[in-house]
Parts: sequence; C-alpha cells; structure tokens
Amino acid sequence: MKLWNKFLEQLQLTPGDSAPLAKERLRLALTYDRNGLEQGTVESLRREIVELMAQHLDIDASDVHVDIDESVGPNKLVASIALRPPRRAKVPVAMAGRTAESV
Amino acid sequence: MTGQVITVTSGKGGVGKTTFSANVSAALAALGKKTVAVDTDVGLRNLDIVMGLENRIVYDLVDVVEGRCRLQKAIIRDRRIDTLHLLAAAQTRDKNAVSPDAMEKICAELKHLFDYIIIDSPAGIERGFQNAIVGADEIAIITTPHVSAIRDADRVVGLLEAADKHKIRLVINRVQPAMVRRGDMLDIPDMLDILSIEPLGIIPEDEAIVTTSNKGELATQETTSKAGLAYMNIARRILGEDVPFLQLESGDGLLQWFKRLFRIK
Repeated sequence: MKLWNKFLEQLQLTPGDSAPLAKERLRLALTYDRNGLEQGTVESLRREIVELMAQHLDIDASDVHVDIDESVGPNKLVASIALRPPRRAKVPVAMAGRTAESV
Repeated sequence: MTGQVITVTSGKGGVGKTTFSANVSAALAALGKKTVAVDTDVGLRNLDIVMGLENRIVYDLVDVVEGRCRLQKAIIRDRRIDTLHLLAAAQTRDKNAVSPDAMEKICAELKHLFDYIIIDSPAGIERGFQNAIVGADEIAIITTPHVSAIRDADRVVGLLEAADKHKIRLVINRVQPAMVRRGDMLDIPDMLDILSIEPLGIIPEDEAIVTTSNKGELATQETTSKAGLAYMNIARRILGEDVPFLQLESGDGLLQWFKRLFRIK
C-alpha cells in the first residue's frame, strides 16, 4: 500500500498536504511573535483559567480556548469558556395532562 | 544626480540576498543605470565572488570607513558592463568595524555618484543589519517558501517599521512550481497573505544560479535562465515599470490542464 501511494505521489496524483499545515503553523507562530507572547505561556494560562473557572462554574474543560483574536480588536487575548448546559427536571407526561383537565 | 539606495535583507541566511544583489545590480546596469553593489557582510564577504570580481579588490568598505582611501578608490568597475560597480566588504575584520553613522555618510556620498546603490545586508538583525538599513530609501526583503525564512522575514518587517523604514517590498525566491501545485510548498498568495507586504518579485529555483556563479557570471546575462528573467523584471519594476509576474509553469502543461479539467489537485 505504501509503495502504491509513493507511486501515486510521484505521478503527482495525490495532493500533498504539508503546505496547508505550514500556513496554519506560521499564522499561529507569527500571531504570537508579533504580540510578544509564547505559545507555551498561553497554554499554561489556559490550564489555570480552566482550574479557576471550574471552582466557580460548571464548565466543559475540553472546550476552553485562549487565543489572540485580532477580529475582536488589536492585540486582544480572548478566552472562550464553554459552560455545561443546565439539566432540566423531567416532568411525567400523565401528570401534566391531568393538571390541565382539572382546571 | 540623487541615487536611490535599496537595501537587500532577509533575517534568515542563505535565502539569496547576495545572488539577488548581484543580479539586480547587473540588470539595472544593463538597463543603462549607473549602479553600485555594496557588500556590508564584513568578515564573510561574498558579493565579490558571486559577481566574479574577487581578483580585482584592492581596497574595501573598511578601508574607506577608517580613512585609508577615498570612496572612489575602493569602487571597482565591472569591465563587462561598464555601468556596474562594486564596493566590497573587508574579509579580515568583522561588522563592528563599521558603524551606522559611517554607513550613512557613505550612502550620502554614493547617492551623488550613482543612480542605484544596492546594499547587500548580512543575515541576522544585529550590527551588520543595522549598518545596511540606515541609509536605505527602500528595502527588498528576500524570503523562500519555508517556515523558517518566512518567520524571520516577518520579524525583520517589524524591526524595519520600528526603524521608520516603511517602503518595503517582498521577493520570494527559490520557488518550485511543481511542489506548489502538489500542495507541498507554500504558494505565492499564501505568503503574501501571511506577510502582508507588496511583492517585488518571484524567482523560480534555477540551476543557472549555480552554474553562472561557478563561472563568476550572472544569470541576468543568461538569456535562457528563468531566474535571470525574473531578476530583469525586478529591475524594471524598480525603475517603475508595471511588469506582470512570470507564469511559473514547469513544462507539463497538458497534464496540468487534464487535472484541472477533472478537478484533480
């Protein structure tokens, strides 16, 4: 299978995928470079925000992002924290119907 | 005569600053402009050997700065193109031998003598770079389609803007069209988008760069070289001409047409 893929690659029939990766990595690296931030520092910050938020709110720790968001404004570090939607109490259907009729 | 000083820099080493400086100087000279190429890479000089003038050097930039000779005495005229000149760097010193102030004075003097002054900057962002940019009217940043070169180019743009140098244009060197088409090399629109500076030129990878420099000749003088043509177009753009960018096809046009027809990348 590997040999076949290599053959296709040589025929230039399989699209390469390394350029889009390079573009994305560069976009990220340059955003951080330009703002004087380290990606590692921001990741630590994100973890601390998750810990702090979890003490006060019911959050979805897997959906917390901290990033530079230039669309919000120049040099804006934006944190988005996903809250877990509240569970609603289930009302038994039969009881609900009887209540309406008795009015 | 007030000449135009163009500094060629990159941040990253080995992306083609010296080759660019040599070839574009020759192209401008061939177009009739009195041109001098200046090597500011003191201690690691290469402009002289790329231009094939290494056996003509008597005096260099540091001799001028330290007052051992007048500027005119250190400038070498190329016997093959008589509007082309070189001011070589010293080989036995380092970049601390020259200061930005000294470079500024030299640039001012060169502006009275030449139409175009092409300053070949060393790699890096330290003293050599500072020396090279101080007298510049405009900057050409050289990059290649690689993550390292682009990141460094971006850093250099930031430093240039901080130094109040705002006329900056980008040259993308060593492009390999087949790799770009396969999606394995960053394409021109991507790079222009990432760096957000105006393009000055796009130069394809070309064996003629190696063969001409082996002989001490320049690709610009080689009529069959695609890179040579790209350098000539850059010179014309510097002169204000509106030259469209080269279509970098690598000759398998029919296969590309077929793929495009069936939307195969």
